[in-house]
Amino acid sequence: MQGEKHKHTQRVLRICHDCDLIQEIPPLKAGKTARCIRCHSILERHRTNSLDRSLALALTGIILFMLSNLFPLLSLKAGGVALDSTLLSSSIELFRIDRPLLSLLVFFTTILFPALSLAGMVYVLGSVKLGHNSQWIGPIFRFLRSTDVWGMLEVFLLAIIVAGVKLGDLAEIIPGISLYSFFALVIILALLSSTLDPDDVWQHQETTT
Amino acid sequence: MSTLYKTGLEEGLLCCPHCNLISRLPEQKNTAPKTRAPNNRQPPSIICPRCDALLHTRIPHSLAKTTALVLAATFMYIPANILPIMNVTYLGSGQTDTIMGGIIHLFMEGMWPLALIVFVASIVVPLLKLLVMGGLLLSVKFGSCWRPAQRTHLFHITEFIGRWSMVDIFVLAILVALVQFGNIASVDAGLGALSFAAVVILTMFAAHTFDPRLIWDAMDKKNLHKQKDTTHG
Ligand SMILES: [Zn+2]
Ligand SMILES: [Zn+2]
Repeated sequence: MQGEKHKHTQRVLRICHDCDLIQEIPPLKAGKTARCIRCHSILERHRTNSLDRSLALALTGIILFMLSNLFPLLSLKAGGVALDSTLLSSSIELFRIDRPLLSLLVFFTTILFPALSLAGMVYVLGSVKLGHNSQWIGPIFRFLRSTDVWGMLEVFLLAIIVAGVKLGDLAEIIPGISLYSFFALVIILALLSSTLDPDDVWQHQETTT
Repeated sequence: MSTLYKTGLEEGLLCCPHCNLISRLPEQKNTAPKTRAPNNRQPPSIICPRCDALLHTRIPHSLAKTTALVLAATFMYIPANILPIMNVTYLGSGQTDTIMGGIIHLFMEGMWPLALIVFVASIVVPLLKLLVMGGLLLSVKFGSCWRPAQRTHLFHITEFIGRWSMVDIFVLAILVALVQFGNIASVDAGLGALSFAAVVILTMFAAHTFDPRLIWDAMDKKNLHKQKDTTHG
């Protein structure tokens, strides 16, 4: 963590991503944020222990993601028949009723991108933590950061609530085991995106190459 | 005070959007640093030495690409609201629901907080996003200097809230997966759902191709003219 010490003791030059203004930012105290003097966009955030915390959150996220896929999210009971729905079954059933595009969209945003994002994050942060060096770290991390918006688990959670209420008057809705792990997963992902400091990874890349 | 401002474009410096590393553009490519990159030519680009990302002074053809995406999304917005997003078959009788129909249905059943959430996510957000992106594109096109900080902020808000419009698509996916009682009850996806998904995806891509620095280029151009005026006079 030498890079971290170095980073927050010197004035550094920054160019604002939003307005292209060149400016110097002073050393930041823990938890402080530097903003652009012209457009007030965030230039830099100082987060403490971000690497360890992010790695722990990403590992927890993987376990919760697996749990969320193993058991039903919601069960519907009507006329003596019970039907379960899992995270994956939404994409599968859309495919079955001949809506391949919608099915792919749901699969990408609720399964593929969240899974890739968590696995990639553990790989990248784990490598940085262990001091392991690979040419793949940079491109993978860049890919993860730029596809971040396509993982939509928190939107899916809202959809579960809406769907549950909609069906509530027609049939009996039973929350599944996975619903709890899914709820926890959404919270973990929110925490992960707020603790992650991309500079941890880039400074590792700079010192090892 | 504004004359003290120096931008990366003026100085021939590039900041990597991924890792924040600042690189200098090679001199031979950096023709006349005081003029804007012409719209018809590809802006100069280099590879970030730290993370290997391709860096541009401005996103290439940002205005044209974003305009195309916003227009396509506006076009898709019409079928998304007219065509049914789902067909519900219940005890042999079919019922189709448009987006607005589904919201009214929720409201009628007394679930107005939920109806409000879905209304905001499915109606207000996409419409606002199209209007804001359209407004931003026009303001950049005509070199507007009106409240650039607020416009930048507005852009980031639309970028952030756009994904929440997917909630209706997900509700549909869950209903399709859950309601399968053969002839008694089933849910099918309508063409409106496909159009609506297209609106969400197209506007998300539009937010991705839009370069907020274009908002500020008009300001810098004006400041440059002021600077010239004061040195001459
Ligand atoms: Zn700025
Ligand atoms: Zn870079």
